[in-house]
Amino acid sequence: MSKREHLLKIGVSGIRGVVGGFLTPGLACEFAQAFGTYVDKGRVVLGRDTRSSGEMLEHAVTAGLLAAGCEVIQVGILPTPTIQMYVAAIGAAGGIALTASHNPPEYNALKLFNHEGLFFNHYERAELLDLYHQSDFYQATNEEMRGVQVHHDRPMALHLERVLKHVDLAGIRARRLRVALDGVNGAGSHMSVYFLREVLGCELHAISVDPTKVFPREAEPRPDTLGDLAALVRRERCDIGFGQDPDGDRLAVCDETGHVIDNDDALALVADAALERVEGDVVVNLTTSSVIDAVAQRHGRRVFRTAVGEANVVEGMQSVRTAIGGEGSNGGVIFPAVHLCRDSYTGMAFLLNRLANSPGTVSERVADLPTFFRRSSKVAFEHGRLGPLMQSLEAAYPEAQTNRADGLKLSFPDGWIHVRASNTEPLLRIAAEATSASRAEQLQTAVEGLLRSS
Amino acid sequence: MQRAKALRISPVGVRGIVGPGLTVTHALDFAAAFGTLLASDGPVLIGRDPRSSGQMLRSAAISALLACGRDVIDLGIVSTPVLQHAIRRLNAAGGISLGASHNAAEWNALKFLGPAGTYLASSEAGELLDIYHLKKFAFVEWNQIGKLTYSADAIDTYLDDLARIFDFEKLRKFRVVVDCCNGTSSTILERVRDRFGWPLILINARLEGSAFAHEPETSARMVGSQLGPLIQPLQADAGFLFDADADRIACATSRGEALSEELILPLVADGQLAKFPGRIVLTNLSTTALVDDVAQKRGGEVVRVPVGRQAAIDALSSFRPEQIAVAGEGTGAVMLPQFRFVYDGIAAMLMILTIMADRGQALHEIVAGFPKFAMLKGEVPLKQMRIPQLYTELREAFGDEGRANTLDGLRVDWPDHWFHVRVSQTEPIVRVICEGRGEAPQALFDGLMEQVRRLA
Repeated sequence: MSKREHLLKIGVSGIRGVVGGFLTPGLACEFAQAFGTYVDKGRVVLGRDTRSSGEMLEHAVTAGLLAAGCEVIQVGILPTPTIQMYVAAIGAAGGIALTASHNPPEYNALKLFNHEGLFFNHYERAELLDLYHQSDFYQATNEEMRGVQVHHDRPMALHLERVLKHVDLAGIRARRLRVALDGVNGAGSHMSVYFLREVLGCELHAISVDPTKVFPREAEPRPDTLGDLAALVRRERCDIGFGQDPDGDRLAVCDETGHVIDNDDALALVADAALERVEGDVVVNLTTSSVIDAVAQRHGRRVFRTAVGEANVVEGMQSVRTAIGGEGSNGGVIFPAVHLCRDSYTGMAFLLNRLANSPGTVSERVADLPTFFRRSSKVAFEHGRLGPLMQSLEAAYPEAQTNRADGLKLSFPDGWIHVRASNTEPLLRIAAEATSASRAEQLQTAVEGLLRSS
Repeated sequence: MQRAKALRISPVGVRGIVGPGLTVTHALDFAAAFGTLLASDGPVLIGRDPRSSGQMLRSAAISALLACGRDVIDLGIVSTPVLQHAIRRLNAAGGISLGASHNAAEWNALKFLGPAGTYLASSEAGELLDIYHLKKFAFVEWNQIGKLTYSADAIDTYLDDLARIFDFEKLRKFRVVVDCCNGTSSTILERVRDRFGWPLILINARLEGSAFAHEPETSARMVGSQLGPLIQPLQADAGFLFDADADRIACATSRGEALSEELILPLVADGQLAKFPGRIVLTNLSTTALVDDVAQKRGGEVVRVPVGRQAAIDALSSFRPEQIAVAGEGTGAVMLPQFRFVYDGIAAMLMILTIMADRGQALHEIVAGFPKFAMLKGEVPLKQMRIPQLYTELREAFGDEGRANTLDGLRVDWPDHWFHVRVSQTEPIVRVICEGRGEAPQALFDGLMEQVRRLA
């Protein structure tokens, strides 16, 4: 198979691509019309992040939805979780967020939600895709045409109200915590400033909170992209720093020393805070660090693991009584009492609540967690090669516990290996974790060796 | 043969019944083709009439234009003439008017306007169609995408210009009733009422998405439906009826009589030629011979071109504006050189009222001074495509001793009557028109209809 650039992807995760020659207004409009046909002329909530293509696609999608006979509720620039919650709150038939999440600014995408404000599950996605490919869209007449409504402030208020039910607001406000924020000029820019400064009463030091500007850094919030946030924390002697992605679902956390902590550790800290307040178990993906098991154990809860991907974790969370879930490596906290979606605002609120109500700094709390050594890498990879690799891995480690829910995960008493094919790119993702650095390296090297020889 | 009746793609634009005919995809692709075609920089203006489907078409057009790197200025619900006016004022690259004018509510259309605010010439329109069919659009990179802004002062600046041409102080003494047919004329006339203190009486002034009070057709029949009966009880001097995008009118006298839409052009021509003697009246082959009489009396000249807005637009470009008295058609749509040759119902209304004021005559008195003509119109469904043969046979059967013109179908003129048979550009029908001085040539009309039914 020849190598090709992945500039447009129309698949089970919706439609995503580079704006200009690939993700055109026509494609977005047709996809929206298919969506509008699928939700049978209902109300659809439409929001977006701050990408320069957002307004153009907002109109393309509005046109497609109206053409299918839908009523369009435009909520403008808002974080994805806020949009999701609003879909469920107003009893809409579905929702669309225009955001390519952590992808570079030239990309954009349509994220699709059902009437509960949840990502389409496999069944719904496949059905929609069939409709799209059949091009058999509903074409509303003038008589059937419904209009566009603009809802401004309500979605944000509703989201924040839900989050605040789970924290001690007075306690947080009383502490006047010093907080740094890097909003990546994303959809959460205004809402985060309002939330942290006005609602939670923090002394806020914010950078990149202008939604009219382009992303000033790589959009994914990771230790290597959050140098400015770390510097800001040190300069302003902040208690904690937060880094968001362009659509406000992911969160990275910086401790008071200016060290951006591992996303798995951040999830563990939020889970620790959440488990103190609510009953239920923990659901994470297979690649999430074992640190979550240690935290769950402290609270006497179980940990369930699912395939990688927010939709998979959410499906897992719906099948057990879950207190909290998430995906460690990419900074996603899912707290179902607020909504079954990744939400950086829940994460921020829980961490600030913890800081306000109990002694100790962020770095001290991280130090309290058991230490695991993680290695991860990605290898360009041709689809079809995963099967043989899985077989040879299993043969090489007959003593390991295996899980085949998403690629192959081999678990040992002192660590694990997980290999899986990426959902979005022709990449093989390799992760290894162990209680010692040398063991982690050894596991990873072994997989890479097998990959070369298989 | 099965013929599509719900969609028409022509050089003037794309028009159809929304849903079964005109779809969001047509709107997107046409707007993208237009964004690709436009040569000059500058924003593209968008305006629409109040039809419910307008919002869908608007979003589609905005999206495609932004994707082509065009900044878009949305004027909201405005008449086509207001949009045309704003294009010039804002040095825009062009504009798209969304609205189906005199068609019923289920219709809608995209009409494309060039940088002068006028409809595209045939050559440009042909290129637009080529780009549309090729589907090769000039979409730009993510960081070059256009921006959308809004403008709310288009009506006021349009009225500034109208006030330079018409004396509102003089006109506002008239008591006028206007049937806005739930279209865009109300947005202008409400402003006229406030700004010039002219107590116009507006009916059907609410903008409606689909529940129009009646068809937005500017005909004597429609004047009779609601407007006519109101004139005498309200003691009005005149009544005017607008279509949805306010580019054409019909009118009623102070006695409540509906004037034939055919009389609008002769009325305006009479007024214009009195002011500018010797100029040209540009009209089409189907328009009443009364314009010839009016022109002769005032020492003007009539130039007739094929039916359709496109032919008039193309013909106008070959004259200097100061050679033209007025251009228009028998549907109540007229263009004035003082107003940049835009079909504009508001300007037509003001012109008729100005004539009444200048002459101190009521509308029925002015019309009474015109020679009488009687017209018969018919249409026959077209079932075959041997159209030239149809014209040839009709000419042989009926053209005896008349002066034949084959520029658009077949027109034959005799000293006191004429007929015109042509195939419609918008529907699969043959139109038959006969007109006679004094009396209608009924026998000729019946003979033509019978023959056309047999041949068409």
